[in-house]
Amino acid sequence: MRAGEPGSEPAPFTLSKPGSLSRWAFIERATVARSQPGRGRRLARLSTRTPEGTHGLVMVLARVEVRDSLWVQVRLPVLPNNTTGWVRRERLGPYHAVRTHLIVDTRKRTARLLRRGHTVFRARVGVGQPRWPTPRGEFFVRNRLRGFSDPIYGPLAFGTSARSAVLTDWPGGGFIGIHGTNQPTLIPGRVSHGCIRMRNAEILRLDREMPIGTPLTVR
Amino acid sequence: MTMRQETTHVPDFTLDQVDADGAIRETLDVVNGDTRAQFLAKAGIFGGGAFGGAALLGLTAEGAAAATAKSDVAILNFALTLEYLEAAFYTEAEQMLGADGELALFIRVVAAHERAHVSALKKVLGRKAVKKPKFNFRGTTESESKFRATAQVLEDTGVKAYKGQAPRIKSNAILNAALAIHAVEARHAAWIRDLNGTAPAPTAFDKPLSKSAVLAAVSKTKFIVPAQAPRRRTRRRSTAPRFTG
Repeated sequence: MRAGEPGSEPAPFTLSKPGSLSRWAFIERATVARSQPGRGRRLARLSTRTPEGTHGLVMVLARVEVRDSLWVQVRLPVLPNNTTGWVRRERLGPYHAVRTHLIVDTRKRTARLLRRGHTVFRARVGVGQPRWPTPRGEFFVRNRLRGFSDPIYGPLAFGTSARSAVLTDWPGGGFIGIHGTNQPTLIPGRVSHGCIRMRNAEILRLDREMPIGTPLTVR
Repeated sequence: MTMRQETTHVPDFTLDQVDADGAIRETLDVVNGDTRAQFLAKAGIFGGGAFGGAALLGLTAEGAAAATAKSDVAILNFALTLEYLEAAFYTEAEQMLGADGELALFIRVVAAHERAHVSALKKVLGRKAVKKPKFNFRGTTESESKFRATAQVLEDTGVKAYKGQAPRIKSNAILNAALAIHAVEARHAAWIRDLNGTAPAPTAFDKPLSKSAVLAAVSKTKFIVPAQAPRRRTRRRSTAPRFTG
């Protein structure tokens, strides 16, 4: 049965278009993401808290109403990377909109932040070593951490929904961060366990430009 | 518009469902202080739309509220709070619902009206204008059936509630604006009722809503997010993150 035919389910309504406008929402109540709206297999359990202790959030991609229930397609912070699933709308809080989009090029070792399609930030970065590559795909920034004592992350770190496909037993789940460094001379290069490193001045500059919920593309 | 049978089910809202967060009551306390009970007994607390046209009726001077009776300022501010809600509701529906046809036209037109009401009230109140609350429309701007039902309740309530508000207005200019906007709100109500397949003008005379009925219409939605909502943690101190590094 095709969309639009009598009895067919309505076509999903797009909620995010990275590069122009993207939306995200806090997870208000723990929930299960499924492969299809209203049914389908369980893909992941979404918690209200991240491993870092911040309030969990997801990027919302599309919405559909199935039998009087709203379902939202979200990008999931799970392996395999780039997985999306459907959750009940009421499990999420209000939508928040962002017009930023961070693009990391692992070959050129660059990071570029766009706002409304215009580049507002550019920096050279360190990315994963060949044996611990920075995963490629579509992700989102899900938290912002600072005030920690470990100097290897520099003064500030953003957590992302990306996960290392090889360091699966890493404490906390092997999530990929975007952070500062105490070894700035190694940047740019393939130097990390998968995280995206910037010089400290640049991660602080990025912090002024990039809100949480920003979509992240790693090429 | 075409007349249709009343076929669309619009849920009846109850008081307890309405103001679960207490946000509306808090607003009323601020607005009316110790006269709140009297105010509610008569007032169109959802008559926000009734005053938005003030700018078109000689009330455009910024800070004009300085020369307005204190009670009128309070009424205008309460109206502004509710206009914020209506404007945000329709604006979000414009962006999120994905409606088409006449429903899309209704949303576009009414959203523009409600934003104009907000703009006019803010201009009149100047520095005395209350701040815009935060809203959570809880999916009603994303589901067509929920949107239709909610919009009808909001518009119907605004129209009926106005009857209780008007006698409290001291300024003739504000009263005139209220009368003008009341008519516009009635047109909104008739329009959405027609779109919903319900009678646009079901009775010859409108009745004012009771306090509980008005509160019910507003608070059922829990649209206004309490200012004291717990802050969400987006950072943690002292412990290093456990990213792969």
